[in-house]
Amino acid sequence: MSSRAQPARPTVLVIEDDEETRRAVVRELHLRGYETAEAADAASAFRRWEQRRPDLVLLDLGLPDMDGLQVIRRIRREATTPIVILSGRYEERAKVQALEAGADDYVTKPFGVDELNARLRVALRHAAGPSADATGTIGIGPLTLDVARHLVTVGGRPVDLTPREFELLRVLLTNQGRIVTKGRLLRAVWGEAYQGEDSYVYVHVSQLRRKLAAADPDGALRDLIVTEPGVGYRVRDEAR
Amino acid sequence: MGAVDRREVARFVVVASVSLGAATLAVAILQDVLNVPNPSSLYLVAVVATAIASGTWGGVIASILSFALYNFLFVEPRYTLSVAQPGEFVNLLLLLFVGIVVGQLAALQRRRADEAVAREREARSLFQVSRALATRASTPDVLPEVVSILRSDTRMGRIWIGLGPEPRAEKVVADTGDGPRPTSGVKQVLQRTPGDAPARWGRVHEPNAPGARQPTENDVFRVRIEAGAEPYGSIWALRPREDRLPDRTETRLLAATADQLGQALRQDRLAAEAQAAEVARKSEELMSALLQSVSHDLRTPLATIRAAAGTLQPGTPLSEEDQRESADAIDREVEYLNRLVTNLLDLSRIEAGVLRADRDVFELDDIVGRSLERLAPRLADRHLEVALAAPPVEVDPIFLDEALNNAIENAIKYTTPGTPIRVAASPGADDGVVRLTIEDGGPGVPDDALPRLFDKFYRVPGGPGGSRSGTGIGLAVVRGLIEATGGRVRARRSELGGLAIDLDLPAAPPHPLDHDAS
Repeated sequence: MSSRAQPARPTVLVIEDDEETRRAVVRELHLRGYETAEAADAASAFRRWEQRRPDLVLLDLGLPDMDGLQVIRRIRREATTPIVILSGRYEERAKVQALEAGADDYVTKPFGVDELNARLRVALRHAAGPSADATGTIGIGPLTLDVARHLVTVGGRPVDLTPREFELLRVLLTNQGRIVTKGRLLRAVWGEAYQGEDSYVYVHVSQLRRKLAAADPDGALRDLIVTEPGVGYRVRDEAR
Repeated sequence: MGAVDRREVARFVVVASVSLGAATLAVAILQDVLNVPNPSSLYLVAVVATAIASGTWGGVIASILSFALYNFLFVEPRYTLSVAQPGEFVNLLLLLFVGIVVGQLAALQRRRADEAVAREREARSLFQVSRALATRASTPDVLPEVVSILRSDTRMGRIWIGLGPEPRAEKVVADTGDGPRPTSGVKQVLQRTPGDAPARWGRVHEPNAPGARQPTENDVFRVRIEAGAEPYGSIWALRPREDRLPDRTETRLLAATADQLGQALRQDRLAAEAQAAEVARKSEELMSALLQSVSHDLRTPLATIRAAAGTLQPGTPLSEEDQRESADAIDREVEYLNRLVTNLLDLSRIEAGVLRADRDVFELDDIVGRSLERLAPRLADRHLEVALAAPPVEVDPIFLDEALNNAIENAIKYTTPGTPIRVAASPGADDGVVRLTIEDGGPGVPDDALPRLFDKFYRVPGGPGGSRSGTGIGLAVVRGLIEATGGRVRARRSELGGLAIDLDLPAAPPHPLDHDAS
């Protein structure tokens, strides 16, 4: 989809200090039709970055010469290029920080190639533009969300959502396939004043799930909103 | 007996003159008004009173004074010290003799009473010191209490305790006074002698000590704290220069306190050493148990991976389906190794006490649903029953997810395909608790193994053998993670016939209303 803004073969800058991992990832990316550039540390990564701007950055958080967060901030000062993080388990706080600093998504090591591919694809797609179509509706399976008319339907039947639930669903759907941190949801739906009130998000996501499940007897929307424990939520990606 | 105390002289003068005056008045009334013959023994009352107040010498002087007064005032010829009748002379001598004896006895009584009081006080002080030491968490913590006991029960001006093997490098841990501690080139150091010989104070000159030339109005006393010939520190005390040396009771109290402190400090040191040795032994034990338990479980999947990778080399005549099978095998074994490594990391974090729960409110079906989805391919034909209607919980989602994985893995590992596995949540028996139970219809474990099931490296005796017999890590991790997130675990026999694992999780507090107009 939306290949208009993308070069035929998108370039991925792989910043990873472990050579085996880096080469395996690069092999995989070549196989899937990506161009690649490689860097084993932040210094050489920035040199590559200056030589040629990639379409996507795949960044390992644990670099030998610089904190991954700093790398993200520095890239973000210059460009909106999507950044996908490679992180270890038990680094939820680091993941959240990275996402808040401007990273687009993350993959937890050890990762499968399918998962990595799905994340890269979603990140590139979002970089190309918002996923609402021309008439301002977002659809996934039997679900449609009409932004202008503030209307949500499942299989054509309207679902009664509160304004906050609607907003929540809208933010998640416009980021389809992409992780949205709880902090970002709070800011988008409740505003800055609610910082730290993560349980509001949880309560409303639960209600939203219940209402969607009630309106969806076939179960086509089951697991539409996926919890990423400790980080946030993600709407299942259906675009293949 | 050293220099006579001025206070004691003053007391003697007061008591002797009052009691002798009263006795003289009484004798005058009896003899001259009531004509009682020879009432001289009344003077004995004065002698006793003075002896009680001032001791033996007071009694003797009072006796002599009584003798002189009676002779002078009441014996004919009056107002002279001469005696007319020999009978009167015998009377007078008797008065003197009885006076001295009674005075001695009274003084002895008095001394004994004083000693008893002093011993009682000494015993009480020692008891307080012992109790403080017996109930201590660590000896330095109770030293402030010890110095204040010593300060109130001796006539020392200021007492402090320094710890350290060298007197000059001691660290002062308790002091009844404040401000800089005076130093002096001359110290009174208590010389302890082995055996029953009483300790003595000995003067020690240290002309090169810092502050040695400063004039001081206080004497500095030092009692070494030692045990088993090892120095641990000193009790230091100040006392005005004009006071005498500490008396026997004070010296004994100081010496006994120093002994007790020495023993306590020695015990502390030995306990610390024993603990360090125990920690070292335990970590060594843990290490060998760990190696024993995982070496097998690590090697088996590695063998599979290597074999499968070999079949994927180009040029091997393998059908596409066989190749896929090899790739899948590698994937499965890597996943297995990943879980094993994750559990080992978790276990080491649990052991090191560095697990920090990041708790948040969740509905169980959210987290549990995710875990079940991930485990679904491994359930094979086991019949899974899920019932998760329960109030939301407040837990670290990663910990719960990991614990659940392990509990369900455990159920899968020890049951055969077709066995029912049930994951159910219900409000717990106690308020604020949600119980999540993972149970199976497998063979279960013997009742006597249930309490040990969550111990690390514990494997049920007679359990299934083979190359993947379990490491005894999974359920230990379950307990560590659940407890770290504020919950409790329990194993029991399931109604399904097999093992039931209860995870009691903290329920979420009631959520404040969010005003969200529809």
